[in-house]
Amino acid sequence: MLELDEKFFGRFGVEYTPNQIIFCEFEPGYEFYFIQKGRVKITKIINDREKTIDVLSAGDVFGEMSILEEEPRSASAIAIDKVRVLKFHRDNFDTLLQGNPQLAYKLLLIFSKRIYDAKRRLMILLLEEPSVKVMDVLIMLAEQNPQYDMEGEITLYTTAQQVASWAGMAEAEAQKELTHLTRVDKIDLYEDRIVVKNIRDFQRVIASRRKNLYS
Amino acid sequence: MASGFQSGIITRGYKSGSIIYFEGDKSEYIYILKSGRVLLTYTKIDTGEEVKEEVRQGEFFGVKSALGKYPREETAQTIGETSVLVLTMADFERMILRNVNVVRKMLRVFSNQLRRLGKTVRTVLGESDNVNPDIELFRIGEHYFKSGDFNKATYAFKKYMEYYPNTDYSKLAMDRIKTISSGGAIPQPAKPSKPVPEDDLTDFSMDDDSEDVFSFDDKPAPKKDVKPEFSFDANPHDAGVSSELSSEMDNFLSDDNTVDDFGDFDFDSKPASKSEPTLKEKFEDGLSSFKMDNYKDAIEVFSEIIGDGMPEKQQDKKIFIDSYFHTGICYFNMKNYKEAMSRFAEIVKNYSDSDRMKESLLYIGEIFETAGQKDKAITYYNKVANASPKDSLNSKAFDKIRALQKS
Repeated sequence: MLELDEKFFGRFGVEYTPNQIIFCEFEPGYEFYFIQKGRVKITKIINDREKTIDVLSAGDVFGEMSILEEEPRSASAIAIDKVRVLKFHRDNFDTLLQGNPQLAYKLLLIFSKRIYDAKRRLMILLLEEPSVKVMDVLIMLAEQNPQYDMEGEITLYTTAQQVASWAGMAEAEAQKELTHLTRVDKIDLYEDRIVVKNIRDFQRVIASRRKNLYS
Repeated sequence: MASGFQSGIITRGYKSGSIIYFEGDKSEYIYILKSGRVLLTYTKIDTGEEVKEEVRQGEFFGVKSALGKYPREETAQTIGETSVLVLTMADFERMILRNVNVVRKMLRVFSNQLRRLGKTVRTVLGESDNVNPDIELFRIGEHYFKSGDFNKATYAFKKYMEYYPNTDYSKLAMDRIKTISSGGAIPQPAKPSKPVPEDDLTDFSMDDDSEDVFSFDDKPAPKKDVKPEFSFDANPHDAGVSSELSSEMDNFLSDDNTVDDFGDFDFDSKPASKSEPTLKEKFEDGLSSFKMDNYKDAIEVFSEIIGDGMPEKQQDKKIFIDSYFHTGICYFNMKNYKEAMSRFAEIVKNYSDSDRMKESLLYIGEIFETAGQKDKAITYYNKVANASPKDSLNSKAFDKIRALQKS
C-alpha cells in the first residue's frame, strides 16, 4: 500500500456502501481511484446482462484511463463491500505526481500489467477453434502465477464460467470443451478448480496454431 | 541524461548486430540507449506482421515487460557500436522519483496502447465501437430500472440528466427518477391549513428565476442543482437527495387516494344550523359568481371559506381545497399570475393528494409558459403527463409539451 494513504484520506477519501455505483459505464469520467479497503467489481452490461469483468481490492487502482484521455468510462465500478477509496481528479494529477512520485511508479506498474493482460487476452480471442481457445486460457492462467512448475501438474483455481469469459464464448461451450479435455485425460475438472496434467503439451499445440494463423 | 544518475548503474557496450534480449526472455532489466542504434523487432498479434522500430538516443526500452514481469515481447538488436545503460527496477524507480515528466509521458503512451487494445478486443468480440455515450448511458439506467436495481438506475439516470440534459431521453430519465423515488415513499399527510399570509408571496415576480419563490419544487431541474466541482461525485449524500426528491414528488404520483373516501361516510352528521349557510352553500355561491366570470366576488367568497381554516369533515376539506383552486383560476383568468401561482402552489405543497393536484400542476405549467420559462413549464406539464391514473389532463399536458418543443 502507498504511504500517502492516511495523509490523503481526509482530502481525497470517499466511502461507498455495498452495491453502490462508484461510476457508471458511458459516464464521462475525470477521476481515478485507489482502493484502500473493500472490493470493487468492474462490470459491463452486455446483451442486457451485468457481467463482471474484474474484481479489485485494496491497493488496486481503477478509472485510471481517465487520467490522460477524454473518453467516457468503458465499464462501471460498483462497491461489493463497504469500500474506502482515494479519489483523484485528473487536474490534480500533476500535483499529485510531483508530491508522490511513488504513485507514478505504481501507475506505471499497473499500466504495464494491464497492457500485457489485454494483449494476452487478444491472443486467445484471435485463435479460431474453441478447443484451442480454452487451452490457451489455461496456459494464460498458469503463466500468471510464476510459482508454478510448468513441468508438473498445475492446479488452477478457476471455473468454466471464468474460462468462458476469457475466451469470449458461451459458458456451455467452454464447459463442453473442458469436458472433452477431461475425457481425453488432459485435465481434471472440479467445481472450483482445474488440474492441468501437462501444460507444456498445450503450449506446443498453441504455438503451432499461432504460427499457422499468420502463414 | 546520464549525468543525473546515481552511481551503480551499469553502462554496457555492444558490438554491431548483438542481441540485447530476445522475444520471450524474462528479465527485470530496463535499458536506456546512450549511444549507437537499437532496433526492436516484434510481431503484431492481430496480423502476425513483423514490425521494426528504432529506439532513439536517451529513450527507454524494455520497460513494460520488466515492470509487468512478463516475457519480452520484442527482440532488441544493436546496429553499429552501441552503448546502453542497464537499470534494475530499483534504479528505475529511483529515477522516476526525480523525474515525473518522464512518467507522465510513459503513462500517456501506455494509456493509448491500452485504449487501442481495448478497441481491438471489442472488435474481435463483435462489440460495436460506434456508440453514442448518451444513449448508452440511458440504456444502462434502463437495464437497472427493469431489473429492479433502483439505486443503480437512479445513479445512471441522474448522470444522464447531468451530462445530457437536453437530449432525447432526458424527460424519460427524469420520469424514471421520479418513479423510483416515489416507489417506497409514504404519502405526505395533508397539513392543517393556515391561510397563506399575502406578504409571503409578494416577492414573486414574473421575471424572477423563480427558484426562491417556488422552493416547494425546484428539484426537477437537476442541472441547476449540480455544483460543477462535485459533478462527478457519487457521494453518500445522493441518498439524501433522492429522499428529498421523493418527499416532494411521491404524493403526486401516488394514486392511493382511497383513504379520502372513508371520510364521506358520516354517521354523526347533524343538520347544520339553519341560520348560517353551510360551507357547501357558501361555496356554491362563490362558484356561481365564478361561472359568470365575476371573479372579484368569487374570490371574496372563496377567501372567506379559506379564512375559516381547514374543516374537519372530509367532504368539507374538498370544498376548502376547491376554494383555493378556484381562487387560483380566478386570478389566472384575471392575469394576476402572482396570486394565481400562490394558490396553485398551496395545493401542490400541502394537498398534493387532492383531486385538484393535476389541474394545479397544469396551471403552474401554463403560468411558467406565459412567463416565458419554457423549461419550467415543460417540467410541470411532464408531471401531469406522467401522473396516473391517466385521463384527458394527461393528453392535454402532452399536447402542451409537444407544442412547446416545436416552438
